[in-house]
Formats: sequence, C-alpha cells, structure tokens
Amino acid sequence: MTDLLIIEDDLEMQEFYKDMLQGEQFTISLASNADEGLKKTKEKKYDLVILDILMEGITGDRVFATLRKDSRYKEVPIIMASALDEKMYRCFQALGNVSFLEKPFNKERLLGEITKRIGSQK
Amino acid sequence: MFIHKKEIILNINRIIFSSLDIKEVYQSMSNELLKVIDFDRLSVTLITEDNNLYENFVLSKDYEYTALKEGVLYPMEGSLMKRVVQFREPVIVEDTSKGRFLTDTVLFREGIRSRLGFPLEYKGTVVGSVNFGSKRKDYYSKKHINFFSQIAPQLAMAIENTRLFNKIKEAEEKYRTIIESSPDIIFECKKDGVFSLMSPSVEKITGYSVDHFYDNHGYGLSLCHAEDQDRVQREILQVLHGLNNSSMDLEFRVIHKQGKVIWLSLEVLPIKEGNSIIGSEGFCRDITERKKLEELKDNLIRDVTHELKTPVAKIEMAVDMFERSVETGNKNTPGKSSQIHEILRNNVNRLKNSIKNILDISKLESGMETFKLSDVSLADIVKQIASEMKDAAGRKGIVILYQIPSHIPLIKADRDKIYHVIAHLVDNAIKFTEQGEISISARLVPDEVEITVEDTGRGMDEETKKRVFEKFYKETPSAYGSGIGLTICKHIVEMHRGRIWVESEGKGKGSQVKFVLPITAGYPLGSSGHTKTVPCYAKPKCE
Repeated sequence: MTDLLIIEDDLEMQEFYKDMLQGEQFTISLASNADEGLKKTKEKKYDLVILDILMEGITGDRVFATLRKDSRYKEVPIIMASALDEKMYRCFQALGNVSFLEKPFNKERLLGEITKRIGSQK
Repeated sequence: MFIHKKEIILNINRIIFSSLDIKEVYQSMSNELLKVIDFDRLSVTLITEDNNLYENFVLSKDYEYTALKEGVLYPMEGSLMKRVVQFREPVIVEDTSKGRFLTDTVLFREGIRSRLGFPLEYKGTVVGSVNFGSKRKDYYSKKHINFFSQIAPQLAMAIENTRLFNKIKEAEEKYRTIIESSPDIIFECKKDGVFSLMSPSVEKITGYSVDHFYDNHGYGLSLCHAEDQDRVQREILQVLHGLNNSSMDLEFRVIHKQGKVIWLSLEVLPIKEGNSIIGSEGFCRDITERKKLEELKDNLIRDVTHELKTPVAKIEMAVDMFERSVETGNKNTPGKSSQIHEILRNNVNRLKNSIKNILDISKLESGMETFKLSDVSLADIVKQIASEMKDAAGRKGIVILYQIPSHIPLIKADRDKIYHVIAHLVDNAIKFTEQGEISISARLVPDEVEITVEDTGRGMDEETKKRVFEKFYKETPSAYGSGIGLTICKHIVEMHRGRIWVESEGKGKGSQVKFVLPITAGYPLGSSGHTKTVPCYAKPKCE
C-alpha cells in the first residue's frame, strides 16, 4: 500500500479526497493545517504528499520548502493543489519532483497525477 | 638692458603658463611689466560673443576710482578697442585730451593722457586687448609695441586656455552636481570590478557608504540577494565581454545594511577605449515601492480569483461526487446525498455572497447606490440582529449581549444599510471568535452616536488594523469570505457622514469595531430623491 499524506485546511475538500481515493491502493492520512501536516511528516515517512497552497497560517509553498529541507523528504513526490492558475506556481518546478493539480479535479485526474508522481519516483 | 628685458619676457611667459587662475596671471604679469613699460592704468579687455567689451582686469596705480570698471560690459562702439580689433594692430593715443575715442574722454577725466592698445590674437582671431594708460602725454612709442608683441601671443593663449579650462570645470561641476543630487545610483566600474565612480545616493538606498564600494573589490555584487547574484553577474559579464551592447531594466534584489530587501533596476553600458571594453557604467534605480505595489496587485488578483474559483471548483467536484455515487448505486454510502447537498448549498451561498458583495461595492463606489432615509432606531436594529444571529453564535458557544441606552436618539439614516453594517460586524465577530461573547453597545458623544461591536476573538495585529478596510484584504488569503465586507461597511458609514475604525490590543486579545453616525446631519451624499439636500433634523426621542 502506498502511504499518502494530504494537507488541506478545507474540510469539504478533504471529503472529496476521501471519496475519490476510497477503495484504491492507498492509505490516506489527513492533516487540516500545515503544523499538523509537518508533525505527521516527522512521525512517519509518507510516499507522497498532497499539499493545498492557500491555507490558513502557514501556506503550502512554505510547507513545501520546509519539507525539502528535511533529508527524508528531499526526494518525496509532492502534488500541490490549488484553485489558482498553475503559472503562479511554476517556480516550484525547479525544486524537483513536484506537480500541480488545479482544482477542480476529478477522480481520474487525481489518480493519474498520483500514479505519475509515484511512477517517476521508482 | 637687452638681457634684462629678455629675462623679464621669460619671466612673464613663465607666469602666463604657471597658473590657470587668470586673475593671478594678470597680477603677476603687470608686476613684471611695470619694470619695462611704465603705466598708470592697465586693463585687459575681452570681446564677448555678442561683440560687447568686457573689462576683465583693471589695475590703476595711483587712483582707485575708475569709470571703466572691472567686470562690467561696455559697448564696442567708439572705443579704442574697436579700432584695435578692426585693424588687428596696436594703436597709440598720444593725447587723450583730443578725444579721438569715447574712452579717451572718460580716461582723460581720470588723468590718463596717453594710451596704447594692443590686440590679443589667438588662432587668427582677436579675443581682446591689453590697454596701457599713462598720465604723461605722448608716452607710448614703437619700442613699447615691439616689446609687448613678444608677450601678447602667449598671453592670448593663456586667456583662451583659462576660458576653456573654466568651461570644462563648469561642465564637470554640473556633472558632479547631477551625480551628487541624483536619487539613482550612478556608477563606473573597471573591468576588474573596482569602482571608479559611485554616487552618494548609494548610501541612502543600500545603507552602505560610498567608501565601502571604493575600498572593497566587487562589493556591489556581494550585496545582491543570493538568488539574483548569478543572473546579475551573467548580465554584466555579457556587457563586459561585448556579447551585449547594454543591459536594460535588469531587476534584482539587494540586501540593505539593516537586512531589508531592496529592489533595484539596473541599466549598464560598456565603457570603451578604442575597440576594447575597459569597464562598465550605468545607473540603478530603487524600485522597491513599485515592486510592493505590484505584489499587492498580484495578491489582490490571486485572492479574488481564489475566492470566486474555490466555490465553483467545489460545486463541480460535488457534482462529480454525486455522479459517481449514482454510478455505484449509493450502496456503501447512506449519508452521501445529504453530504453532497450540504457542500452544494454552502458553496452556492458562498458564491452568491461574493457576487453580491462585488456588485454592492461597485454600486457604492460608482455612486449608483441610492439611500432611503428615515428616522432609524438603533435599538430596534440591534435587537433584531441579536435575535437573528443568536443561533449562529450559539453553535460556537458564543453569547451575544447588547445594551442600547434609552437616551440614544433616532438617527436619520438608511435603515437597511445600517442594519447591513451592524449585521456584518456581528457576523465577522462570530467568525473570528472561538469562545466568549460578543457585545453590541451604543453611547452618545457630542452630536454623534457611537456604536461598538466587541468580541473576545482572535484580535488583530497592527498590519491588519491598518488594512482591514481595504478592498479584498484578508488576513488569511484562504479564509472564507470575499474581503469586501468591511469595505462595504466603511462606504455605508462614510456616506452617512460617519467614521469607522477598529481597536484591538493585539493578536488573541479580541477586537472592537466602532463607528459613529451624526445624529442631526446624517445626510448621505448619495441621497435619494425625496430627501433632496434640505437639512432635516431628527428629533431626539427616548424609547
């Protein structure tokens, strides 16, 4: 099973993730804010992190930077999700193994993105 | 005697080329001249560009007053000088009493009886003359002319050199003033990175003095923000290596001495000597303010986009969720429909609110909004709001308290709009309060009523207090809401000729939003037809 961590402060969005990933070959952990998410990454190494960008408190881009400084998370694939345009976050691409998921997305698109990221990892 | 004269000529020549201060030259020259040509008055006259005469130097031996003064312009007409210039040869006036020239008459009154005018020629042009005056009649002769003709060419050259030197000095002075007063950083840098020029504005912009840049090789680049250093260096090297004729509008960050980030825009050009590039020159403009505004604008667009796109995205995803649940026949998910229904309802409301707010603010800003004035009881409004919002507050365990004293009079206002303001403030208070209470109160201050909505919520820092009424401002970009609500409140209050502000001791210490409305002159600027502009005073009335 692949371990996914989803850091997303919008509870309705969390429901969508749960609904879409239900019954797939993943175990999911959910974090409702950046602090909670970072705490989880310290406790365990996840195979992939899905990160909301505009979150209350610490925003996703800063979580991303913090994760990349952690030696265990240097290479871990990350998917950054937002309702905003991809072009606003193009700068992250240089930091490696990251992709952008624009909201709204459907199940197919989410699974496709996860598979692509995990695949590129192997 | 001959050797003696020769020595004097050599002396005078030496004097002429010893200084670029022409006054000093004249003075020393006249001292030497006195040894061989006696005079009671000596002047050097120059011709100005518009053919006037300019007395550049006047020395009168036995008397101080002279009508033809130093530093004054005279017309050429009628003067000895005109004759000297015209014929390009020395002119002797044996007796000034005969008044051959206008200037003879003037000088005769001062006791000068004879004169010798000598042209000063430089590169074939007469630039001026040297004029001797003696109190003795018929004093000057051919021998004086012969003697002075050996000095005149050098003197003319010295005068022209000084003029040229002064012109260069003036231009340099201008250039220096420009550099010293320029708000931009003007610089020249040698190929090895050593600065040969750095304008003083660099200290104002970066916090480091000019000396830092002169003393430390490559200092400019080391101040660059780490992320911009390579890019700036690459661009400058391209100019230095002749791969680029110039680099324009290169924007980069430097770190100020006090640690803050400064944005600069650089223009750099190569300095050439013959065909080779020996350095670079250019200027840097401080564009920090512009960058800040750009960032604000970008954030604004980002936040508004986010606020409008998020509910639409979630509606779309809820529809997708619904379709999938239909496909799977709702087998394992009994609560799914109500969950989807709730998400849809929430987001339709959120979107509806955002759109309404944007339309409201547009109407208020354009002055299209009309106000319906009536005598409004604040107590009634507050009572209504407290009762309507009791449940929403109660769900978070918050109590709404209110106290409107009975002596608060009716105010002339648009009831719906004032209701909107107070309701929005209470709604906000509920949103940002986790526990405790919200209290609504009013008090009478001279000619005004002050209404306060106070909560025990998360409070505000200085930045938020300053910006909370800005359109689209949200402390947390992802937070629910359009960031327009308080802007709308501010517009409504101000159109009632009131004021609105916030008070908070800081984060976690609750906030108070206060606004005042005038009791007697609450006429909205955009008042509706029937109220016109006739003042109508609300009668104070107790409840």
